[in-house]
Amino acid sequence: MTYLVMECHLSYAIVLDEECNFRKVANFHYEVGQTVTDIVEMNETSTPLKMKSRSWVYKITAAAACFVLLVAGLANMMMTPFASVYVSINPELRVDVTRNNAVVDIDGLNDDGKRLIEGYVYKNKELDPVMDELMDRAIAMGYLSEGGTIHLTLDAKDDNWVLTTSEGLSEHLNGYLKDKTSVTIEVEQRNQDGYKIIIPIESTDYDEQSPYGDNEYGDDDDGGSDSPYDDRDEYDDDADSGYDEIDDDGDSDYDD
Amino acid sequence: MQQEHLIIKQVTAAKASMKDADDLIRQYLPFIKSEATKFLQRPCTDQDDELSVAMIAFHEAIGGYSKERGAFMKYAALLIRSRLIDFQRKEKRHFGHVSLDAAQNEDDKTLEEKMADDVNDYERREGLFATKREIEELSKIMAEYKISLTDVAENSPKQASTREACGRAVRYAIENPEILEELLKTKKLPLASLADGSGAVRKTLERHRKYIIALLLIQTNGYEIIRGHLKHALSKRGGRTI
Repeated sequence: MTYLVMECHLSYAIVLDEECNFRKVANFHYEVGQTVTDIVEMNETSTPLKMKSRSWVYKITAAAACFVLLVAGLANMMMTPFASVYVSINPELRVDVTRNNAVVDIDGLNDDGKRLIEGYVYKNKELDPVMDELMDRAIAMGYLSEGGTIHLTLDAKDDNWVLTTSEGLSEHLNGYLKDKTSVTIEVEQRNQDGYKIIIPIESTDYDEQSPYGDNEYGDDDDGGSDSPYDDRDEYDDDADSGYDEIDDDGDSDYDD
Repeated sequence: MQQEHLIIKQVTAAKASMKDADDLIRQYLPFIKSEATKFLQRPCTDQDDELSVAMIAFHEAIGGYSKERGAFMKYAALLIRSRLIDFQRKEKRHFGHVSLDAAQNEDDKTLEEKMADDVNDYERREGLFATKREIEELSKIMAEYKISLTDVAENSPKQASTREACGRAVRYAIENPEILEELLKTKKLPLASLADGSGAVRKTLERHRKYIIALLLIQTNGYEIIRGHLKHALSKRGGRTI
């Protein structure tokens, strides 16, 4: 085989063999245009740039995999039930929510509960609208009527969440049901130790329904709001209200 | 330590460019020479083939180096020594073959002298000059396509099947001069026509675009000496110039 020297550099030369292959070889003082027979070809088994780019590919792949795992982990965490709201009208339900109050599951705990949620789609909805819709269904299906009671139990390990949600949810339901029906909403907080607190919430039209209307007790002397609780101490002494007498330990008559 | 960091930076830069690699070798020529001297156990001169082998080994060291291999200079020294051992073994294999300097017959003329008689020295020099001019002209034209001969060497197919696919495409272009005309006119390789006409996979041709362009340019007028060198590879299946 003969090789035609095509290009010469200090450390190597380019030669063209008779089979149309251009090769990088050791430059034994070659001259361009010279034909040679013995060459020492450069060993290019180690491909530097390819190696380098491959290492980048590995790094990028590893980073992408970590990112995917992180996103998947976060998504999983976002979809993991963080707390449950137990709804008891007569139908009994359990509504599981994430930390952000997104509803991830609803279970009927008794037959009526199963009937109530039959065909109901809660996907991509938050707790408040789901509760509204469930109340509407309960009214429409005759489970919730005038003077009825909605008992809510909040169960989560995070006391802050329980406290915040119990206030927010009861206020929200009060507002929502105000023009629909008059019911009593009771919210129970259950922390991880099984410790229970019942906070009675006024029914939506408590003012109209209450036997302790303003007329009976006259105007507020203290200039406070019109809430029937403003004068609680006043009428507690006279009447044995079911809402009062919250014990020091937090227990009330509604515990049982 | 800082010196080693500097070398690694230089080596990393030299990986991307043969010119940078050549410059780095020029810079470290004393080191390369000293390694060759250590191996030869005598002073290595510029005329020694071992120095050329040591330089190509240093080149390979640039190409194959990664931080995991430790200090670059140690790695380069190891590669130089290995290459020189290989070269000496190869040279020993040739030992005992007929020497150009050995007397061949009773007239006491050496083989070299005999060859010199056979080929007129003046013609040989003229031939060399003409070949050089042709190659320089080819390099100039290739530069218009932003291709150097070093690029072509790096872009040459290594596998026989790929070489055959590229060869088919080149032969198809030789048989269809309009493809060569289009290449000269547009300065772009008509990949679609080559792939369709030769049956080679377009992706393969794309990967070896520079190599194919170089071979097609050689098929155009003015490179008869280079074509003569390649005649066994291309013209046996019928080639023509435009």
